[in-house]
Amino acid sequence: MKEILVLAEHRQGQWRDITFEMLSKARQLAESFGSEVHAVVLGKGVANSTEALRPMAHRVLLVEDERLEAFNSETYQTVLAQLITERKPLLTLIGHSTLGMDLAPNLAVQLKMPLATDCIGVDGKDGSFVLTRQIYGGKINSTVLFNKPGPYLVTLRAGAFPVLQKDSLQGDIISLPSPLTDGNLAKRFLGYVEAALGDVDITQADILVSVGRGIKGPENLPLVKEFAEAIGGTLSCSRPVVDKKWLPKSCQVGTSGKTVKPKVYIAVGISGAFQHIAGMKGAETVIAINRDPKAPIFGVAHYGIVGDLFKIIPVLKEKAKELRQK
Amino acid sequence: MNIIVCVKRVPETAEADLVIDKTGRDVIKSGLVFDLNEWDSYAIEEAIRLKEKQGGHVTVISMGGEEANESLRKCLAMGADDAVRLTDPAFEGADGYATAKVLAESIGKLPFDLILTGTQAEDDGYGQVGGALAELLGIPHATVVNQIEAEGNKLKVHRELEGGLEEILEIDLPALLTIQTGINEPRYVSIMGIRKVAKKEIKVFGAADLTLVANETGLSGSDTRIEKISFPPTTGAAKMIEGNPEEVALNVLNILKNKGGLA
Amino acid sequence: MMERQESIAQKFDLYACYQCGKCTGGCPVTLRSKLNIRRLVLQGVLGKDLERLNERLELWDCTTCKTCTLRCPRDINPMNLIIGLRSTLVEQGHIPRTLIDALESVYKHGNPWGKPRNKRTDWIKELPDPLKVKDFSQGEQAEFLLFVGCTASFDPRIQEIAKALTYNLHRAGIDFGILGNEEQCCGNEIRSMGEIGLFEELMQTNIEKFETYGIKQILTSCPHGFNVLKNEYPQETFTVAHGTQLLARCLEEGKLSFEKEIKKVVTYHDPCFLGKQNGIFDEPRALLRAIPGLTLKELDRSRERSLCCEGGGGRMWVEASSDSGPRLAEIRVKDAIELGAEMLITACPLCVLTLEDAVKTSGHEEHIRVMDVMELVAIALGRPQPSSELNP
Repeated sequence: MKEILVLAEHRQGQWRDITFEMLSKARQLAESFGSEVHAVVLGKGVANSTEALRPMAHRVLLVEDERLEAFNSETYQTVLAQLITERKPLLTLIGHSTLGMDLAPNLAVQLKMPLATDCIGVDGKDGSFVLTRQIYGGKINSTVLFNKPGPYLVTLRAGAFPVLQKDSLQGDIISLPSPLTDGNLAKRFLGYVEAALGDVDITQADILVSVGRGIKGPENLPLVKEFAEAIGGTLSCSRPVVDKKWLPKSCQVGTSGKTVKPKVYIAVGISGAFQHIAGMKGAETVIAINRDPKAPIFGVAHYGIVGDLFKIIPVLKEKAKELRQK
Repeated sequence: MNIIVCVKRVPETAEADLVIDKTGRDVIKSGLVFDLNEWDSYAIEEAIRLKEKQGGHVTVISMGGEEANESLRKCLAMGADDAVRLTDPAFEGADGYATAKVLAESIGKLPFDLILTGTQAEDDGYGQVGGALAELLGIPHATVVNQIEAEGNKLKVHRELEGGLEEILEIDLPALLTIQTGINEPRYVSIMGIRKVAKKEIKVFGAADLTLVANETGLSGSDTRIEKISFPPTTGAAKMIEGNPEEVALNVLNILKNKGGLA
Repeated sequence: MMERQESIAQKFDLYACYQCGKCTGGCPVTLRSKLNIRRLVLQGVLGKDLERLNERLELWDCTTCKTCTLRCPRDINPMNLIIGLRSTLVEQGHIPRTLIDALESVYKHGNPWGKPRNKRTDWIKELPDPLKVKDFSQGEQAEFLLFVGCTASFDPRIQEIAKALTYNLHRAGIDFGILGNEEQCCGNEIRSMGEIGLFEELMQTNIEKFETYGIKQILTSCPHGFNVLKNEYPQETFTVAHGTQLLARCLEEGKLSFEKEIKKVVTYHDPCFLGKQNGIFDEPRALLRAIPGLTLKELDRSRERSLCCEGGGGRMWVEASSDSGPRLAEIRVKDAIELGAEMLITACPLCVLTLEDAVKTSGHEEHIRVMDVMELVAIALGRPQPSSELNP
């Protein structure tokens, strides 16, 4: 059957956004060559939650097993390998997430399936696919082709595909038996750890002033913090700032930090590496200040200022303070 | 503990102006500065620290041209014991899978307890070689690892998930881990440090030393190929705000008022 | 263990120390750091307490201002001891991340700012045509080599000073050229950070460049570059002058005449690498005194006693180890304001950056302005200014 399988991703009882992004893209692809979208759900006690997927899938394939309660690439790989071998879907989509990165390369080697990772574009062509991926830190797009026939495995970048309006497919939920047995796993899940909570929850802020490497050093943070305070905003940052320990991890916006959807996101000295952009694309208004006119951040910004932040922020701060006093 | 670290020499592109070459499938590399892949520098540092704590042996391996020696020597200067380079025209044009095949075969001959790779490379960003390598070698793996504790013949590792969450796993050795940035502080390698290891032998192997045949390596052994590259479109271009800092500031504050309110 | 410590005392010739404390008494960073150079020398002599050097972050607080060495009555060089201990840490590799980035950047890009080599001459593109700069690397010839320096090449604020200097040199009729994109770090800060191997390579490459282009006279406006070229590089093949020395001479010889008045009260901050270390105090002052309308007042801590701004010794790339105590640059700014100066003038790019930073962090942007001697000279020579340049 030439369906498109989509591995629905969930964690701690919540569907992750990428699930709906993938289902949307699969839907679009399936329409273009008259095929179907089958969502695959692995877990324990998730049956009720699959309702949320039904509008967007022709079928929901559910495998429930105690051993699938928390993600473990070994158990997931066993189940998926069997599903794919039996059903031979034209294409299987997995998120290029920490789950997908742990799972897809191994699954591909086991089943000898061609794999393209972290794709921002997928188009069908002559029974195969044309993928778009970014290289060189997002500065270049590459068009990638498969060298072999399918079934194909593709991982999709989070936030790269829009979520379509919920459809009305209302696919049936089909429970499939779990092929897992009580064997010893070489890798065992022990638990989760929440990252230490900082003072502020940046995901709740309406206005974020975010700093990147361009801030040059922690001694320049007070200046930006004052500006943030003057406009009633909260300070956040990109990954390099946390790696250098200038701000705590709780401030980090990006794929390995937090996803934020503020009303206004002011990116100060942030180049806009995709891992960062993924965490803030949902912001309603993005204003970017950067010295480099070619900085990728300008690609997602609604307003851009090419200039020296050390000249602009002090003035912004003063003017904001003046406004406050009025 | 016998540790093998897979590393890659990559161009630094963040501040460089990239130019697409004549083939239309890659950028012009001359004029670019190359260095050890950032993720790999964390991996090799972690390997050295494990060796310093537990004793053992660290071998660093890289698939690449002769220039890869530069990155291999950096790893030797950091404290790796041996270096291996896999070089052959037949290896060129490899995607993540073809790279993993060559590494798997070369590593298969060496004794190891643990293999470390970076989570991904700065240039291709596949994030694939580590996992594929583990599967080819038939050993368990974990990716995006940001903490390792050795406990006899197993490891307790933390994986960095999204949203500031972490996952704790226990994994049996031998195993492969792909290392995330921030796991440690990679040490500096001085010029004198590089000089000290300048004479150390780097073993070189080519296609003839492996049993893989021509169509299993390089471009012909790859499942994917790049057809062409281009610069990303500047989507829905940002409205640029011009003027001196005063004018810019007034403009921005106006936007703030309209778009979100100044709290 | 004993062997090793003896060799520190021998290596740095510390035995003559009689612990008078003049070094620590003059060390500017003792106001805000655990660094106690007198005690460090003692530890060196006794061979005690020198384990776990990498935990002693105060070793990176030293700005290599050299006050300790200049004051020592026994001709010991305690500053060299600090550089020596730093080099041990560098070899071990466990040094602050920002220093690693700066050092790797010098190795890879020829400058500590992470900027690509081929952008080193971008600042020239902004110069108007009459100020064309000759480039030795493009086959042009000139009497002087202007060694621009990494900070002037890449930092937008200091690029302004380089442009002013270019104007001044043209007006003075000096025939000069630059090494263009082939110029790379002079190595002064690299040496102070203890990366001796990298310093040697830089010095070697630079000397070869000078020889290739037949360079006999070098001038620079960065005292750090001036210092290392004069005192560490072999002196057989070239002479080196600081921009203020050359222009002060031109002034004396009547090659420069100041047309425009600058009616300001200013004071001058002696950069450590120009002043106390190399004895150049009068030339910058001569230039300032010759500017019509300018009133030059002297700070209490001037000339040899000038208070270090904390810009040298690698401090541009590493945080102070302790938050306590005032930033020295802020003290300097306050001193200048109390003196009644409207402008704080200096002759070093790192001093300009740290003093300007201090003006901002101490909230005195309305009260005082930091500028380089070269910028004032250019204005006084009548250089066309953009309107926001100087509010008289």
